Amino acid sequence: MREEIERITNYRSQSGIEYKEYYDSSDWKGSLSPPGEYPYTRGIHRDMYRGRLWTRRQQSGFGTPKESNRRIKYLLSIGQTGINMDVDVATKTGLDADYPLAQGDVGLQGTSMSTYEDMKELYDGIPIDKVSSTLIIQPPYSVVTMAQYLLMAEERGIPWDRLTGTIMNCAITQYVGPTLQSNMTFFPFDLSIKIGYDLMEYLIEQVPRWNIININAYNMRETGIDAVQEAAFSMSLAADYIKGLLERGYDVDRFAPRIAFFSCAHMDLFEEVAKLRAMRRVWARMLKERFKAKNSKSLTWRTAVQTAALPLTAREPLNNIVRATIETLAAVLGGVQSIHTTGYDEAYSLPTEESHRLSVRTQQIIAYESKVANSADPLGGSYLVESLTDEIEEKIWELMKVIEEKGGFINCYKEGWVEDKINEARYRYAEAIENNDITVVGVNRFEGGDEEATINIFRHEEDMQRKRIEYVKEYKRKRNQEPVKRALENVYRLTRKGADMNMVGPIMEAVRAGATMQEICDAMRRACNFQIPK
Amino acid sequence: MVERRKKIVLAKLGLDGHDNGIRIIAKWLMDEGYEVIYAGLYNKPERVIDIAVEESADAIGMSFQGGGHLYYAKRIIDLMKKRNIEGIKVIVGGVIPPFDVEELKRTGVHEVFTPGARKQVILERIASLLS
Repeated sequence: MREEIERITNYRSQSGIEYKEYYDSSDWKGSLSPPGEYPYTRGIHRDMYRGRLWTRRQQSGFGTPKESNRRIKYLLSIGQTGINMDVDVATKTGLDADYPLAQGDVGLQGTSMSTYEDMKELYDGIPIDKVSSTLIIQPPYSVVTMAQYLLMAEERGIPWDRLTGTIMNCAITQYVGPTLQSNMTFFPFDLSIKIGYDLMEYLIEQVPRWNIININAYNMRETGIDAVQEAAFSMSLAADYIKGLLERGYDVDRFAPRIAFFSCAHMDLFEEVAKLRAMRRVWARMLKERFKAKNSKSLTWRTAVQTAALPLTAREPLNNIVRATIETLAAVLGGVQSIHTTGYDEAYSLPTEESHRLSVRTQQIIAYESKVANSADPLGGSYLVESLTDEIEEKIWELMKVIEEKGGFINCYKEGWVEDKINEARYRYAEAIENNDITVVGVNRFEGGDEEATINIFRHEEDMQRKRIEYVKEYKRKRNQEPVKRALENVYRLTRKGADMNMVGPIMEAVRAGATMQEICDAMRRACNFQIPK
Repeated sequence: MVERRKKIVLAKLGLDGHDNGIRIIAKWLMDEGYEVIYAGLYNKPERVIDIAVEESADAIGMSFQGGGHLYYAKRIIDLMKKRNIEGIKVIVGGVIPPFDVEELKRTGVHEVFTPGARKQVILERIASLLS
């Protein structure tokens, strides 16, 4: 029997751009300004990773604050350089562990965090004036978490101007999907956006080195949308937020340097590099031309990256190590500021310590052994990459124009247009795997390997949920109730009062008085007569 | 005699909002001719069972990404036993480690699908389960 000639399935990029057989000077004749210069195609610093390596920032969080604290310390001990703390889905929806609908999810997808005590336990022994943190939580819940963090700094005697980090603080993109249902079920949608702005304002004024919002392109991309959609959606959303802050009377140069992104690095290496380069250019041009920013810091697009999990498989899980390495390489070649390399056990559970270590090591090997970080923008000038960068930039502008004409991203989102696009994309992606248009090795091509996972898989500590539920109940029983009541009453009253009241101060006072995440959110919900599912 | 279209209630339970998988499955099942009732996010077990009973569904399909599968599958099965509900098959899909696949089956879940399960396999196994 004669084998057919082995061919790659097709030559399209992940977003559908047809790669040419080869590229030459007829494809790209442009010239580039050096890294660190407008429009920053080649990176935001001239010396890029020589000046500062990207931050190794693995997301972590599970179970109790104490368990998560151990994992964070472990990660720091093996060379992680930033913290990426993820709270559980109950906390992300403003619920405490003892709430009936929350009980089955306590501590599963992140750390269960209800109280100020929890925050202190999570960061126990960690020098928050020396290591930066990303706090993964959206408004209004982000205000409670940020308040807990700031109060912790205060208690430790660390001035707020020495804190560096990022609060996600985007009401739309943080949930997976992002579906309308998930964003509208647990809090009034418009109020959550408003409170997000409140927090941005507060941070602009009080915490000068803290990033006020993180535009989460990653969670959108993980549904199956393509590189162009990821870029255009997130840039359009950022434009909405910029407009919102301008309307609140801030000068663009006061806040633009403190808007950061959280992007995806997918498997299509050159396209991802081109996307990241194009996004830097789109941002620089948008800020300069449209929003008239003058400070060069306003024009530099900074992004954290998480490597895509969608292409990772449950079958032959060790293959995922290779996938994550390619994606990490794409992020590095794309000149990003921090990276989370997704674990090979992603299709089974949260990462084990072993898997977390491998993620950090992957980045260290790329940084220290591969030499790819020695020069800025090593692919710059490649006919292929430059022509892709130009083409993707053009497509991003086109899609942004469509969104702008529909009233901006937030409006498109509320009208369901975004969700329609996301649904189309997720079905298309799944179908493409089914009909072999996208090849997934070991799944739809070269199958028949070892199906069973022979890797170690993370397990939660026995009884973790019950302990957390008990803790919250006990905490509420034991504290001094009077100040809590007063502070919550104040939050309730001021929420009712409405629009021009910045809610961060009152929420911080409630945290200080000992109120829990849900109690604070419930006070605001009550003020709007907002019901949540039980 | 025309055979009645098989009916499946699909739902996410608890707070896990990861709905990529279940939405794709919903579409595949509908394309295949099933009647699908998608109950959306944030259901409690009682609600899912109520819908299944009311609609005379042939099966309940639940999807989990964050690790809540044992907690909720057990509650669904227990409630069905308590209420003497028979004939509704229980299907679970999602990010589920191998040792929990076994545990789910011991609990009484009829089928479990994990990431990377192919469309054809899923449809065949559901068809044979409901035949």
